[in-house]
Amino acid sequence: MASQRRKRGENLIIRYLILGAWALFCLMPVLWFLSIGLRPRVEIITPQPIYWPTFSLDAWHMIWEDWPMAKYLRNSILAIFGSVLIDLVLGIPAAYSLARYQYRGRDDIAFYILSTRMMAPAIVAIPIFFLFRNAGLLDTIWALMLIYAAINLSFVTWIIRSYMLDIPKELEDAARTDGASDLRILWEIIIPAILPGIITASVIAMIFAINEFLFTLLIASTPNAYTMSVALANFTGGSDGVIYNAIALVAFLAFVPVFLVVVAIQKHLSRGLTMGAVKGG
Amino acid sequence: MSNSSLPDAGATAVAPAMVTHRPRPRRRSKRLKAWFPYLLVAPAVIYLFLITLYPGVYAIIQSFHAVKFGPWQPVGFANYVKLFGDYQFWGALWNTFVIGSIALTLQCVIALTLAFYAYRDPWVQGWRIIFLVPMLFMPSAVAFIFKLAFLDGRVVSDLLMRVGLIDANLSIQSSIWMSRGLLIIADVWQWTPFLFIIFVAALQGQDEEVEEAARLDGASWAAIFWNISLPLMKPVIAVALILRGIDITTMFTNVFIITKGGPAFGTETISYFIYRTGFKFFNFGYASAASVVMLIITIIIAQLVVKRAFVSVRT
Repeated sequence: MASQRRKRGENLIIRYLILGAWALFCLMPVLWFLSIGLRPRVEIITPQPIYWPTFSLDAWHMIWEDWPMAKYLRNSILAIFGSVLIDLVLGIPAAYSLARYQYRGRDDIAFYILSTRMMAPAIVAIPIFFLFRNAGLLDTIWALMLIYAAINLSFVTWIIRSYMLDIPKELEDAARTDGASDLRILWEIIIPAILPGIITASVIAMIFAINEFLFTLLIASTPNAYTMSVALANFTGGSDGVIYNAIALVAFLAFVPVFLVVVAIQKHLSRGLTMGAVKGG
Repeated sequence: MSNSSLPDAGATAVAPAMVTHRPRPRRRSKRLKAWFPYLLVAPAVIYLFLITLYPGVYAIIQSFHAVKFGPWQPVGFANYVKLFGDYQFWGALWNTFVIGSIALTLQCVIALTLAFYAYRDPWVQGWRIIFLVPMLFMPSAVAFIFKLAFLDGRVVSDLLMRVGLIDANLSIQSSIWMSRGLLIIADVWQWTPFLFIIFVAALQGQDEEVEEAARLDGASWAAIFWNISLPLMKPVIAVALILRGIDITTMFTNVFIITKGGPAFGTETISYFIYRTGFKFFNFGYASAASVVMLIITIIIAQLVVKRAFVSVRT
């Protein structure tokens, strides 16, 4: 077979050596995460690193009993889902407008939306801090929801727009001759047709929201608004230093659902990550 | 009605397209139609204005004031004068550039190499899933784990000593370049997958017939990659590097958790500089001046580079 001969032409050993080496490099810290999360605290920082620790659920008990982990989890979930909802409500109509109409200033508006993605959080951090302080929203999940939504809105709009551009126009035109209004077409034809795009955009927005650190650090000052990401940074036992096993375990537990969701949308990931610039794969 | 110049201008632009759908629109609905796309996009734009334009203006005004705890004192350009003479500010710019460009180059080279070997592999889906893993951990937790492995727990030192590469613990915290290296390794570990996923998709999406033809002519895989695939991928690589570059130059979490900008401010990025002057020393006017300078740099780069890259990919 042609493909057999093709494979013989290059060195498979080098290929698998390189891919295997990187896979090892990827996964070793992950195993390290698990091993830290499931060992007692006394075995973390030792004169000689311990590679085969005693199994212990200390961290598991600690995160639920010593820390309001349930509250952090709730804060994270509310802020993240709320922000994705805001993004979809604002982003879907915006994407539809940018994908389907010809009007003056359209490309500038599209680029403006894209360019907000470039803004370094640190640049706007101080004014945003004062804005939320004056609005009395400091240390609330409402502020987090609003800021996560703002960070992700450009991504969400561009991804959804890219999927809308793929829909053949005839689909709409047929409905339009039947007298359907533009909004009804959006709701009944476009949105169902681009559901994978909407899901992809939501998942990517969710990941960025989970990861967000700087704004959360500034906005959340008490467990009232701590999310997982920033709560981790506060896992310090005062004079004892950082509680690494709790951090590792929480990070691992948070990783599992994210991983499963991302594997489910794998096919769309590259397109989502480039805001729709790369298709397929 | 008489002062609505914008909708009229819009109406003339939209009219030809609309006519095909509704042969004889009534005057009021035509006016509404011209407004409609603006109405759809307006909420998103207003929201983003609030979160970018408002802070921008606020930072500009604040940068001309001394803002500590009391009322704002106007100081003219004093903050800017001080900023341009501040070696820590220039140092932060330099660190951001050095750390960012090394990390980005490494990630790009590694991701391209991996993509080159993986995209023709029968197990490409498996490789993608494995390589994806680091990207999905919370960055703050990743920072702690790297801090533990390299600094607090000395695991890396220990492993290197066991294989005989070094004979004493690495004193990473007292070496600027080792600390920078640590930030770079953490970033490469977590974010190379981002580029890899995109590059693999671009390679898989290319025209197989061109590849096939080149193979029949006896070209090697490496030659095909260099001469055919890579030039075709250029726009995609540009977009991917821009998106990654934005995130690298705004690096904050790892600096905050792993190095705190040290030693001797050698790993202080521009984001950390703004955070430190603003929220550690409460010198908000000064921090705002730094923000404004960054904002101007951002806008220039956005106009010159980003716009072109995204337009070239779309067509």
